[in-house]
Amino acid sequence: MAWRTRVQPALLSLRSRTEEADDIVRPRVRISLDALERLVGGLATALLALLCLFLMIVTAVTCVVGVGLLLVPTALRLVRVVADRERDRLSRSGPEILGGQPAPPGLRDAVADPAVRRELSWVAVHATLGLLLGLLGLVLPINVLRDGTFFLWWWLLPAGEATTSLGFPVVQNLAEALGASLLGLVWLAIALYATSAMARLQDLPGRRLLAPGSGTDLVLRVAQLTATRAAALDAHAMELRRIERALHDGTQNRIVAVSMLLGAARRAVARNPQDADVILGRAQDAAEEALADLRAVVRSILPPVLTDRSLPDALLSLATTCPVPVLIDAEGAGRSAASVEATAYFVVAEALTNVAKHSGAQRATVTVRRVDDRLRLTIVDDGHGGADASTGSGLLGIRRRAEAHDGTWVLTSPPGGPTTVEVSLPCGS
Amino acid sequence: MRIVIAEDDALLREGLAMLLRAESLDVVATADNPTTFLAAVDAHRPDVAIVDVRMPPTHSDEGIVAAVEARRRQPGLAVLVLSAYVEQAFAVDLLAHGGARLGYLLKERVGRVEEFLVALHRVAGGGTAIDPDVVAQLLTRTRPDARLDRLSPRERDVLALMAEGLGNVAIAERLFVTDGAVHKHIRSIFAKLELAPTDGTDRRVAAVLHYLDDADRRS
Repeated sequence: MAWRTRVQPALLSLRSRTEEADDIVRPRVRISLDALERLVGGLATALLALLCLFLMIVTAVTCVVGVGLLLVPTALRLVRVVADRERDRLSRSGPEILGGQPAPPGLRDAVADPAVRRELSWVAVHATLGLLLGLLGLVLPINVLRDGTFFLWWWLLPAGEATTSLGFPVVQNLAEALGASLLGLVWLAIALYATSAMARLQDLPGRRLLAPGSGTDLVLRVAQLTATRAAALDAHAMELRRIERALHDGTQNRIVAVSMLLGAARRAVARNPQDADVILGRAQDAAEEALADLRAVVRSILPPVLTDRSLPDALLSLATTCPVPVLIDAEGAGRSAASVEATAYFVVAEALTNVAKHSGAQRATVTVRRVDDRLRLTIVDDGHGGADASTGSGLLGIRRRAEAHDGTWVLTSPPGGPTTVEVSLPCGS
Repeated sequence: MRIVIAEDDALLREGLAMLLRAESLDVVATADNPTTFLAAVDAHRPDVAIVDVRMPPTHSDEGIVAAVEARRRQPGLAVLVLSAYVEQAFAVDLLAHGGARLGYLLKERVGRVEEFLVALHRVAGGGTAIDPDVVAQLLTRTRPDARLDRLSPRERDVLALMAEGLGNVAIAERLFVTDGAVHKHIRSIFAKLELAPTDGTDRRVAAVLHYLDDADRRS
């Protein structure tokens, strides 16, 4: 045991030394490759920004003679599209940048809107500084190769024109060419150590100017949460109302009927026992109906199969009760938080009710997929389409349920069909 | 006795009609919504209407509205309202114009056929029938007003039975006291509730309304 304790530290330090070297070089290369990729990505949006800048200048100039006024909405729309592209790009490499609110409709209001002004100044900076940095990012790796290998092929160039990528000095012999090739190492050093700063510099205007103004994003978020919270409470109240009604008008009435028929039967016993038997039979029927009602209410609150088994099982049992043939593809659903699964179940239930009631479809397909941390539901039918979310209470219910979970909801239903309902829910697990 | 039934639940509607016909009562029409109910009242001029509170289209208080409208069209029509649950606001709405020929009962009372028939006949005969549950809810308020506080426990019992619509004899029977004792209690109630014998209104109904109204104002 004793020798092992002595030797081991030596082995450890040996290994750690090579690892140390690795640890320094590898991340450095990776960082600089990432940075170059970002710079080139930035170059793409910078070119678009340059186009915007050009259009803005044309608009501004023609505004003097009046014609340009017609161009302003188009120019603003284009700026918004390009800015959103940059927001997406920046969101991929760093903290998410939320899109701003839509620009105010009026021309004067739009131009006075601080968010629009910030976007316009971003266009100006990104189309110049961003473009320059992007071009540098593109040229750097090329220069590393060109100048690094210069001593191999300088003699192929016509005498007097054999220069480095900078255009000087003019190289006469191999020694000078080797010296000039050192420039390749300089480019490499820049590529390794300066590019990430360049990429950050290129991103800076976008991060500063395209993020919603201080306060704005919170205001937006609060407004959004307030709306979905209200929708959640609405959905909740609607749900309670539905359950209350189902119990009062269904189950309770059935039980009242049982009691009433039993009362009638007791009165009939003395008069005519045969009548009493008939009435008792009806009372029993009513009791059985009450039980069936109660079961239906319980299932509509939270289907037992959902808590006992899984979402695909629950959806399968839904499909069997739907008069339209339904194909359930839910193998990729995985497990999600109970409330999410319940929402998914009710979304599908309401969608299938709609399909059966209104679509005239021959068949429907329900697909459930877990994509990253979201549960995606797609319900497609081959009916006659033309579904309108503003009139159908079922579709409104789907939307409320989805939004209550901070989910999204898309309805596509052209006249003639097919109708597609897509719901995406954060899984919460 | 000619009866019209308004009840949207088919099983209850037909069951009730069957039950009443078996008791040799004349059910002249049944309706499953307020519109056909009012048409039936116009067509048959019944003695009594039995009306469910919750009916289409909104299943809230259509029955009460229809009952009030039926009485406007046919003054003197006796109305017995059946409700799935105790809602004193409905009772107050109904009794706002006096309690004669009015009843407000929980649906399940129908199962106790004898008592239900007694209540039905009482309403048809010009009396009042308020469900014991409604009355109990009103009398067990935690903070009754000063005038209600003056009543002795016995007087409260008497008032509760009055509110159900019972007459003096029936109250005496329920409380195992003499007719005269009930009479004395009632006089005392009128005095404590400051209901003068000269103002011409039915003081029994006024006493009950006092409770209903008071409870409604505070709820």
